[in-house]
Amino acid sequence: MNIKNNFFFLIYLLAMHSMNAQNALALLTQEKQFVAGSTILLEFKTRNARKYQLYCTNSYGSTLLNSEINKDTLVFKIPKYISDKTGVVGWKIVGLKESISGKFKIVPKAKPVLLESYIGPPSIEAGGTDFTMLVVIPTDDFDNPLKQYTKVGIKHQFMTSEKETNIFTNNLIAYQTIFSPLKSGRMILSAESLGLNSKEYDVNIMPAIGTNFDIFSKRNHAYADGNQITTFTTSIIKDKNNNIVSDGTFVTFFITNKKGNILKTSGTTINGIANAKMIHPDHQENWRIKAYIAGISESNPLEISYTKVIETFDVHFSDTNRVLKVGPLKSFMNQRIPDGLRVTLSIYKEGAFVNNIFKTTNDGFVTFDLDPNIYENGNYNLEVTAAGITQTFKTKKLW
Amino acid sequence: MVNTNKIILRSVLIISYLVIISILIFLISSLFSYFNTGADRSSMLHTEVKKIDQYTPKISWKDDGNEGRYMDPQTLSSIENDYLDAWYVKHIANKTNLKNGIDDFYTKSARKNLFNFIEHNKEENIAIESTTLAHNPDILFFSEDGQLLVLEDKNVIEYKKFIKDNAFVIETTETSDYKGLFLLEDGFWRIRHLVKERTSEFDKTTLPSLLGSSNIKGINYYPQATPWDMFGENFDLTIIEKDFEIIMKAGLNTIRIFVPYKDFGKAKVKEPKLNKLKQVLDAAEKSNLKVVVTLFDFYGDYDVLDWTLNHRHAEIIVSKFKDHKAILAWDVKNEPNLDFESRGKELVISWLEHLIILIKSIDKNHAVTIGWSNIKSAEILKDNLDFVSFHYYEDVHEFEEKYEFLKKLIPNKPIVLGEFGVSSYSGAWKPFGNSEKIQAGYYKEMQKILTKKNLSFMSWTLYDFDTIPKEVVGVLPWRVNPQKEFGFINSKGVKKPAFEYISK
Repeated sequence: MNIKNNFFFLIYLLAMHSMNAQNALALLTQEKQFVAGSTILLEFKTRNARKYQLYCTNSYGSTLLNSEINKDTLVFKIPKYISDKTGVVGWKIVGLKESISGKFKIVPKAKPVLLESYIGPPSIEAGGTDFTMLVVIPTDDFDNPLKQYTKVGIKHQFMTSEKETNIFTNNLIAYQTIFSPLKSGRMILSAESLGLNSKEYDVNIMPAIGTNFDIFSKRNHAYADGNQITTFTTSIIKDKNNNIVSDGTFVTFFITNKKGNILKTSGTTINGIANAKMIHPDHQENWRIKAYIAGISESNPLEISYTKVIETFDVHFSDTNRVLKVGPLKSFMNQRIPDGLRVTLSIYKEGAFVNNIFKTTNDGFVTFDLDPNIYENGNYNLEVTAAGITQTFKTKKLW
Repeated sequence: MVNTNKIILRSVLIISYLVIISILIFLISSLFSYFNTGADRSSMLHTEVKKIDQYTPKISWKDDGNEGRYMDPQTLSSIENDYLDAWYVKHIANKTNLKNGIDDFYTKSARKNLFNFIEHNKEENIAIESTTLAHNPDILFFSEDGQLLVLEDKNVIEYKKFIKDNAFVIETTETSDYKGLFLLEDGFWRIRHLVKERTSEFDKTTLPSLLGSSNIKGINYYPQATPWDMFGENFDLTIIEKDFEIIMKAGLNTIRIFVPYKDFGKAKVKEPKLNKLKQVLDAAEKSNLKVVVTLFDFYGDYDVLDWTLNHRHAEIIVSKFKDHKAILAWDVKNEPNLDFESRGKELVISWLEHLIILIKSIDKNHAVTIGWSNIKSAEILKDNLDFVSFHYYEDVHEFEEKYEFLKKLIPNKPIVLGEFGVSSYSGAWKPFGNSEKIQAGYYKEMQKILTKKNLSFMSWTLYDFDTIPKEVVGVLPWRVNPQKEFGFINSKGVKKPAFEYISK
């Protein structure tokens, strides 16, 4: 009884086993790792000629593959676009009750064919605090980043120094921060990995911000003729490491006059020097000048004075005192003052201010015409002011 | 006589003058207003942001700093946007085998890799419906000039369903780790390199939660005036509180309510709706009633690309109320098996499966079920659920036998009869229908079996309704009218004979 039972059990086991074997596929491919670009075949031992589909997924996408049968092996050929790309490839045979699945890894080739390099920022400030960064991604012929800890050499040249440092890839990339030298100029960089060299990259090392500077003035003469021009210049403005500041650095000159009013002029640097101009005053003046690079640095103060050119002038009344001819206005060599000197006529009637009339000289003269329709007949006080000098005419009768 | 005629003539003239003038003024003014209305001038600038949620997988940034430049929150948010969009366009491409949008999110050399798959799948007539449910990205490196970054995304949960020649082939859920190199090009963070570093089957096991009550005597509840629109404009808490009082006094301990998906705002659940739900739950707690909350009412899309939106919807509601004392259980969806035919059985089941995982990951204390519409479907996903619930509207005499059969199939999970009932309608559309007396008899019979088998139940429903929205049973009058009279209380508020058997 017992033997008979055992016998049936044995038969049952055998039957089950053969049924399982009919159903199951046995994986023949043992490799779990392939190099990108190699031909990958997934082979299974099979007993029947049934075809299967294979679900297959890599870093970029998923698809279904069809099988081929070669005698008693079932073969799935992994297409090139999957076998070329690194990463884990997962697979699973479709339509089996007991699923057969697995995964294998595709690793990049050992040697790079391209050093994909990115550098930035492209210009940095001299002085050793600012820095730029070179990122290098060595990739193989199938555009796969090389494996972790691939050695990358970074070379850089600046003036007389040439340096090389070695770094290693991590998280797909290798990177190096490069701090600026003290001097401004151009730094040249390149990368190398396993015998492959990158092209040349350059980084502009810009001067840092300017330090305090001196200013000077230059003028034809010291007369306050309202005509000549005074030029202000700076010393060569440099950064703290003696680099001349970048061309185009904006310098503003603030001029404070005797009354405390402020005049402003400005210029931008070329080779570290900024120029700015201002027309001479038309009366005696003392100017106090200071220049600034806004928010960055300032100059020493500079004081200059302008001397009077006109001591006095004539005023001739005519035509019922309604026409005033002022002049001739004469300059420092008794030459007629250049056209454009401002002359002001202030008109008062019975102590009350009536009007100011402004005119500029022409050939050393200014003529004021008082219109009877505006200025009725009567007694007026008249003041004529030119080059800071005022002449007063009391109770002039207009009629 | 002449005088009168003259007056008539004059008044007619004056009136017609007034009429003509008013018509003219009306015409001119409407012409004037026509030319002065229309689009707001500011709309010329196109300043409005037209963005709708299409893809909202759970994204949890690992905030542990990075090498290189400091990552500011604004850049991080634009990276998140572009990274998710890169996945989204890939899902679209998987589904349609078209290349639209890929150019924006993959660099020239990276997009080739996607195009290879698209071409192969197109040739083989393979479509992949795919989505990702979770991302855990971490910035590893950000270059000093802010133009390049390396990102690691661990445990990405990817779901894929393959369709070849219009037939379902295989579905997979995997968790994978990715490393990606991104470049900032044309204002887009584009994927330059992507490497899958690890992948494994997604572990679908969840921890069981106990059903908080072994003796559910319940009812499916809608207010009488607002059936299928409980949280709408006419939400009235005082009515609901009164109804809960009636339910409690009738000897019941549980209600089942429904949260409509669209009405609650889909992925962006509206705060006012949550407030209303909270008031209902608070009121139930006050009346000592437990609540089975049925999610995703009036939802029937199940599209794989819709899943992430569904998940955010469930996440917001479940995480808000998981500690509420009134909650008894979450019913993922009411009668999803009715959508098997139109949406595909595999799709609906996968949808349910992933929602169960999500809900159980958020709320570890409350039981989760699905309200199957018939006893036949009740064993689907039985291992994933904490208790099985089904609806029974068939012959009362066959109930016991069918229940016994189910009990044998599912011996170790609690079973709840989630809906049952009968309409008392008889009228023009169903002349040989039921009466209130037959309804009472039905409940008497059912209660006998329920007590005998000690089976938890929730009947359908408290009230007769005056209107049934067409989304429920359609517009056919022989369907709509019986549906109106399933209540224990008629629409005038009078208890029907069946009320006697509401709880025993």
